[in-house]
Amino acid sequence: MNLAIFLIITAALALVSILSVAIRRSLRVKDSAILIAAIRPIDLEAFRNLINPVEDDYLRRRLPRSQFRLVRRERLRAMAAYVRVAGSNATVLVRVGEAALASGNSQLHGAAHQLVNDALLLRRNTTVALARIYLALAWPDSEFAAVRVVDRYERLSGTAMLLGRLQNPRAAVRLSALV
Amino acid sequence: MLQPHSLLWHYLWVAPSVLLAVLALLMWRRGLHREFPAFFGYAIFEAARGLIIYAIDLSPSASATTYWRSYLSFLVVEVLIKFVVIGEVFTHLLRNYPPLGRLAKGLISGVGVILVFAATIIATYANPGSFWLISATRILGRSVSVVQCGLILFLLAFALYFHLSWDRAVFGITLGFGIVASVYLAHWALMADLLLGRRSYLLDFFNMATYHACVLIWFYYLLVPHKSATTSAVSVPENSLAIWNRELERLLQQ
Repeated sequence: MNLAIFLIITAALALVSILSVAIRRSLRVKDSAILIAAIRPIDLEAFRNLINPVEDDYLRRRLPRSQFRLVRRERLRAMAAYVRVAGSNATVLVRVGEAALASGNSQLHGAAHQLVNDALLLRRNTTVALARIYLALAWPDSEFAAVRVVDRYERLSGTAMLLGRLQNPRAAVRLSALV
Repeated sequence: MLQPHSLLWHYLWVAPSVLLAVLALLMWRRGLHREFPAFFGYAIFEAARGLIIYAIDLSPSASATTYWRSYLSFLVVEVLIKFVVIGEVFTHLLRNYPPLGRLAKGLISGVGVILVFAATIIATYANPGSFWLISATRILGRSVSVVQCGLILFLLAFALYFHLSWDRAVFGITLGFGIVASVYLAHWALMADLLLGRRSYLLDFFNMATYHACVLIWFYYLLVPHKSATTSAVSVPENSLAIWNRELERLLQQ
């Protein structure tokens, strides 16, 4: 009896989720300009400093262990905030790329396809990186580097810039500035 | 009206099978059977299954044992075909996204194992009825619904998380399968625990009506032409972030 009720509630929740996905899909914003406005800028230099293992080593040598853990946790929290924004920007860029692909413009196709793939890789990497950051928060003494996320982000910026130039030569610089 | 063997009951049983046969025919004429072979096979199988089971149900010479034995046999084949269709949807969804291929395959394998494990545990808690064929059918139906519903939800969640773009037909197939799987899950949960007793036919009506609606969903998504979306050109508002562009380009040139 309890199992049946549990399964019925699960089925109802599943049905609501499936229908909400269908509704969200039909209401999805496809205007690139609106999407690009959702991109938040990232201070790459600051992020690079945060994830630099040399800086971590320096802090580890200079600070007492308890203080190092505190500082390390603060740095990891900041790192997580950056990675979350990078992931969110990647999501927007997937949609920008998809919108460009849907426009049917053959000139844009290659750049848009590249943008989607790079953005998906970044999204995947940010997901993995976030999991690792949260693990590192539990064990602040462990080694951690999110270098792959930075590398991917740089590559993605280049692809977004290329797509921006192809779509609108005047706006390209500003698009790349946002990313 | 909501009685077994009423006109509505006959309609809801026969109409989806006939519609699925028409859908299969139209898919074949439009060449969609090459793109979605598993779903095409599913449509043909379901059309045949529905009509055969209906004929057995109406035939005065067919016993209850014959009916349930046929029902269970068809259910086993249907389950296998549905898993192949889910695999087909998965392949279509990831076809344009090679970077996610390995991650998605790993995740769906893991989710599949967890769901099968959960379904096995759920099956052990079933109430055995007096007639083993009916009990076996209900337990199998419930366990399989858990796995199928879970897999469809995983697919939708995965696509939602990565903002993957669904092909219209693939989304329609997934939507129909998802609705059917979740309604069947509730149906089999109630049936397996014998919660409705003699009024279980009311549930049959709901089940059949849902399936009918899903067949219409498949018609709409597979056969009705898609209006091409118009996307505006990129226009970025003025902002004070130009400095980041210089920094980024400096980094990119390293």
